[in-house]
Amino acid sequence: MLKINNYSKSYGGDKKAADNVTLHVESGDIYGFIGHNGAGKSTTIRAVVGVLDFTEGEILIDGHSVKDEPMECKKVTAYIPDNPDLYENLTGIQYLNFIADVFDISEHDRKERIAKYAGTFEITDSLGDLISSYSHGMKQKLAIISALIHEPKLMVLDEPFVGLDPKATFALKEIMHEMCAKGTAIFFSTHVLDVAEKLCNKVAIIKKGKIIASGTMEELTEGHSLEETFLEAENE
Amino acid sequence: MNKSIILLKNLLLSTSQFNIFRYTTDKKKKGNVIGNTIGMTILFIMLMVYCIAQCIGYGKLGIIDATPVLCALLVSAIAFVFTFLKTNGYLFNFKEYDMLISLPFDVKTVAACKFLYMYIKSLPWYMSISVAMLIGYSVYAGFSLPVAILWILLSLCLPLIPMVLASFLGFIIAKIGSYFKKTNIVQTILTFILIIAAFMSRFVIESVFKNGQVRDALEQTKAATEDAAAVYLPAGWFAKAINELSVTAALFLIVVSILLFAVVFAIVGRYYRSLNSALKSHAASGEYTMGAQKKSSVVNAIAFKEFKRMTGSTVYLTNAGVGEILVCLLGILSLVIGFDRLVSTITQNAPFDPAILRPAIPFIVYFCLGMISTCACSPSLEGKNYWIVQSLPITRKTLYQGKMLFNMYLTVPFMVFATVCIGISAKAALPDLLLYLILGFVLCAFSTTWGCVCGIRHMRLDWENEVEVVKQGAAVGIYLLINMVFTMLSCVGSVLLGMRMDHRILTGIFIAVVSILAGLFYKITMKLAK
Repeated sequence: MLKINNYSKSYGGDKKAADNVTLHVESGDIYGFIGHNGAGKSTTIRAVVGVLDFTEGEILIDGHSVKDEPMECKKVTAYIPDNPDLYENLTGIQYLNFIADVFDISEHDRKERIAKYAGTFEITDSLGDLISSYSHGMKQKLAIISALIHEPKLMVLDEPFVGLDPKATFALKEIMHEMCAKGTAIFFSTHVLDVAEKLCNKVAIIKKGKIIASGTMEELTEGHSLEETFLEAENE
Repeated sequence: MNKSIILLKNLLLSTSQFNIFRYTTDKKKKGNVIGNTIGMTILFIMLMVYCIAQCIGYGKLGIIDATPVLCALLVSAIAFVFTFLKTNGYLFNFKEYDMLISLPFDVKTVAACKFLYMYIKSLPWYMSISVAMLIGYSVYAGFSLPVAILWILLSLCLPLIPMVLASFLGFIIAKIGSYFKKTNIVQTILTFILIIAAFMSRFVIESVFKNGQVRDALEQTKAATEDAAAVYLPAGWFAKAINELSVTAALFLIVVSILLFAVVFAIVGRYYRSLNSALKSHAASGEYTMGAQKKSSVVNAIAFKEFKRMTGSTVYLTNAGVGEILVCLLGILSLVIGFDRLVSTITQNAPFDPAILRPAIPFIVYFCLGMISTCACSPSLEGKNYWIVQSLPITRKTLYQGKMLFNMYLTVPFMVFATVCIGISAKAALPDLLLYLILGFVLCAFSTTWGCVCGIRHMRLDWENEVEVVKQGAAVGIYLLINMVFTMLSCVGSVLLGMRMDHRILTGIFIAVVSILAGLFYKITMKLAK
């Protein structure tokens, strides 16, 4: 579903924010992307979703090149940034309708899905309020609902659990499992290694822009905890 | 629904004051919307009254036929300048770029919709100028329905060409800036170069157009307008369409506007993603080593924070720095060509002795410096970062004192430089020069405190784009208008009174009056800060 081949990106300096990154996410995978702050996670994620321009390497989503066929890629992808900048002066429902319009979702489907996910995340009552009145967690929930509304084939999430309450965190994990069972691929970055360990079937560790370890959870940890594996890889 | 329409509709809705008013349950927010709407309505009315009065002046002078050209030139000039200063922040490098571009929109659609959004949002300003001038024109030329329809229809097109050209220029500057590590600084320098070039070209164009023998002010205005229309063809097409009811000229204006938009946005769209990637990315050296750290007072620390806030944003820096740059140029120019020649150039050889303008020197300097007060927008610019200053152990009084101190740091050195330069070139005696400097200082204090009153009263923290508060906010608009009226009246007053009384006494009176006003506004600021 997602193939990143030899992707590199530098921001004008000598250092590369992403250096020859290669990783493949298959349908049904929950792929965790871990690394310390400034390791290159967001630089990779932003290139995957077509936000960041790049010249080195190739990124394919569902067989389409992000560089050459961005529209085909974006139609099947959902992206949740680490700190979603939503339109503060729209109401929650106005924002969700905007996203539904963009993905051309029928009135029946959007109503059903909004009701379902807003109910799950317990923000139905707040949908008529301006987003500016939402807490950080509520904005995060709204961003997650907007990502789920078009039933994407690939979900790319940058620190999706930040700001969520325990109930919402549990609900999101359940939804991620449900979607994977249906064949959706999920690629997400996180600092919460416990969550990654329990949730992901595959993991990649990035350090100074380079992938230093990747594979299935079993291959990577070899009986140790993900935390131990991560710290060992970081210290090497 | 077409995706462009979906996006455009959403962009407009997301910044709609009506939407906020309709859905917010916060009474203070509702009050702010009402206050902003009333403030903006007053500004629109004042602008329209000014334009109608201008047309009445043309009518009385017997040059009402020149109104369509003047209207086209005025709208085009304003559209060009305001768009150019807004492109960075509105068209490129805007906050919700990541969210929008990750959605299935074609990149060209995003670029074009952002431009159209900018066009629709500023259209009420251009239309109020145009409609007001149509009213004034109709009073003298007689009302004609076809003329009125054509005028209004073509007025919709008038800002398009200058806006597209300004956007393209902004795009080129952003593109050049994106090749450098210090993108922001390069963009700011290039923008200033362009502003200075535009400022200087005014004098060059005038000297080309003027043959030196034209003395009659009436003929001069007409001739200059016709010359300008000959250079800027769309103004000529608009005038021809109105004066001669020429369908060809009207079609020319419409077709060229649309074609130019299509061509420019095909080019901009092509480089849009790479440009925004470069503008939104920042190289980090990661090589900092801990050195000695300086301690400073709270007020100075806030002023320094304001300085870094300004230099970190091209939009803010170009807006806040334009007056300082112009005043420097004015000072240098007066030293190079002399005060008398400078006055003759600015007043287009009007038949009066330049010496009578001497009491107005501080106001001439202030005219440039006081155009913008950082205090008018800096309270709103805190935006989502407002929690930082709110959670710190500082009072709001200290916060605004810091903001005011920064505006003084920014304006006073430039005021001193320009006043000394102009004073020397005008051969002002030392006591006069000292009085000019004192008056200049209190004028800076007036601009600072009045700006702060506007900034606090019309503070808006929920902006989507900093351009909304730096260039378009009610605080900035109200500050600008009242300050302009104040400066104009003071300028005229100083000249008229200067012919009847001693210059030193007059400057002393102005110092006292402006000091009282500045003190009053400082008190209001401190009261508002409670």
